[in-house]
Amino acid sequence: MSLVEIKGVTKTYQLGKTEVSALRGVDLTLERGEFTVVMGPSGSGKTTLLNIIGCLDNATSGSYKLDGEEVGTRDFNDLAEIRNRKIGFIFQSFNLIPVLNVIENIEFPCLIRGENKKELRERVQQVARDVGLDPFLKHKPDELSGGQRQRVAIARALVTQPQLVLADEPTANLDSVTSDQIIDLMLHLNREKGVTFLFSTHDPRVMQHARRVVRIQDGVMVDGSGSAQVEVDRLNAAQHG
Amino acid sequence: MWSLLSIALRNVLRNRRRTMITLAALLLGVGVMVGIRGVLNGLQRALVQTAVSGQTGAIQVHHAGYLKNVIASPLTLDMPADEDFLNKIRKVPHVTAVAPRILFAGMINVGDQTLFAAMQAIDPKREFDAVPLRKMTVSDGGRFTSGKIADAVLLTAELEKGLRGTPGQAQLPAAVLGPDKDGALSGENITIAGQLKLNLPGEKKLAVVPLALAQRLLKMEGRATELVIAVDNIDHIPEVAASLRRVLGSDYEVHTWDQVASFVKQAMERQNLILSLVATVFMILMLLGVANTVLMSVLERTREIGTMMAVGVRRGKILALFLIEAATIGLLGGVAGGLAGLGVVTWLEQRGIEVTMPGSAVPFIIRPYTTLTYLAFVVSLAAGGSLLFAVYPSWRASRMRPVQALAGG
Ligand SMILES: Nc1ncnc2c1ncn2[C@@H]1O[C@H](COP(=O)(O)OP(=O)(O)O)[C@@H](O)[C@H]1O
Ligand SMILES: [Mg+2]
Repeated sequence: MSLVEIKGVTKTYQLGKTEVSALRGVDLTLERGEFTVVMGPSGSGKTTLLNIIGCLDNATSGSYKLDGEEVGTRDFNDLAEIRNRKIGFIFQSFNLIPVLNVIENIEFPCLIRGENKKELRERVQQVARDVGLDPFLKHKPDELSGGQRQRVAIARALVTQPQLVLADEPTANLDSVTSDQIIDLMLHLNREKGVTFLFSTHDPRVMQHARRVVRIQDGVMVDGSGSAQVEVDRLNAAQHG
Repeated sequence: MWSLLSIALRNVLRNRRRTMITLAALLLGVGVMVGIRGVLNGLQRALVQTAVSGQTGAIQVHHAGYLKNVIASPLTLDMPADEDFLNKIRKVPHVTAVAPRILFAGMINVGDQTLFAAMQAIDPKREFDAVPLRKMTVSDGGRFTSGKIADAVLLTAELEKGLRGTPGQAQLPAAVLGPDKDGALSGENITIAGQLKLNLPGEKKLAVVPLALAQRLLKMEGRATELVIAVDNIDHIPEVAASLRRVLGSDYEVHTWDQVASFVKQAMERQNLILSLVATVFMILMLLGVANTVLMSVLERTREIGTMMAVGVRRGKILALFLIEAATIGLLGGVAGGLAGLGVVTWLEQRGIEVTMPGSAVPFIIRPYTTLTYLAFVVSLAAGGSLLFAVYPSWRASRMRPVQALAGG
């Protein structure tokens, strides 16, 4: 059983009288332990796709099975619970809670589901160590650099031990050196801890790190099975040609 | 839940400037409410005291049906005023004094001037035990109040001016005329002994004569039309009134001061109504401020709300988060306003405010005060009201779609 099975998913936004088709029949399967990059230009539907996979939004049509269960028609609180238990989010703009310090931001999703703070401490500190935040545990987000903030977000996504971590253009607000560090960190976590990542980007450089790349354009998958090397070759060819 | 509370409290401190402005509005609103209520408390206490200890007494006893018929037949519904009868009343627990009166319509003559007047016959030896403050309304050099001059009369300034142009030379010979029960008019010689000031709005052409003189004039020896009763403590009035009704039976009617001087009660109720209106307006204005603060906070923190939803916070918790923030601000502002109001009221209490009521010539000093109950009331009003007014913006926050909230609205 695949972790994510998407078949014929469409998403249509209503913009006044006009309809915008953000996804027009997407098929995608993600296996456990994969590190997949969704690649596509701005406006191609990456965020829309990740939102649907993340149970933040409903597809207009099509089927979506997460961990073998149809997500389709559930109410807000059910979806909130699925998100809390099974999915970790990493956003482009970090999205930390400003009034909470690093430790508190990391443990927040666990407290929501009623975990005991004391029993959590060990795990939270381990995750903070894993992402290299040891010296900053008491810092507030506004005292951290962009890269450090994204590390907090990664730790927050991992602390609940989710089945899937969704990262929507997580390096778009970071300089290239920091971007590489963050990508390395995620790859490392994928390799060492077996965390499944779905990572979206429109930055071709990022792809060099990926094991599997899927391309999306105008709401449809262009090449769902492409390996990273094929993509890199294709890009190089496009740049030189 | 604890983390929610902690997040809420930190958010209150987050935008300090806005929180301070909201708190200042609450402080002002609650402070003004406590201040006005405090001044009204003092004013009303003074009013009650002026009425009870200066004119009406705590309780009045009349012949059954008297108050309804007082205009048509002020004298036919009379009652005994002998020691035996008065003793029956004095024996009722908490009664401290009883004073008989006769109220009638009469005429006063000075020289060739004769005027109608509302006549009040009182017993100088007993009246001021029952209504001690009334002595302060009399300026007669002790001639009437001592009871030594049997034919002394006190006139209001209004009446005296009508009778002899300018008030001044006291002890002028005059005459009082009055019709008895049967309508037969008779007269007595009197001496103008001094002036009577009014301490409550009411009849302006008033003359006060000794009870014995009126009893002679009206052929009502040993009788009265009104008994004025003082009690040891205002709080005992209802209890004493009930006892009196039992002791005296259905031949007599017993009224408490607020039934007799209903205009005082009505004035107080009017004041309370105005206060409630002013307070409601103030309260709504400042609660709209709170609602606005919460709304701004919700709009500002849209992405944060989206983030919370993404990591699994349920709608109810989002709602609770903003409600707690609003209630906290309301509570803080309410407590601050309550303390500020208490400070002002206490200062005014020590200082005292001297006022003269319209229609009255006797100034009195208002000593504002407030009660713990009222302070608790306004603080809960501020906190509860803030909570209530925050319901809409908080609900909006909780109903946001996660995707839209994450995109910043
Ligand atoms: N809430 C929305 N309402 C209307 N159109 C939207 C909305 N969100 C996205 N779109 C449209 O859907 C398409 C895909 O958007 P998106 O998934 O954000 O692309 P990407 O993340 O790849 O840049 C775009 O054309 C965008 O304008
Ligand atoms: Mg996007």
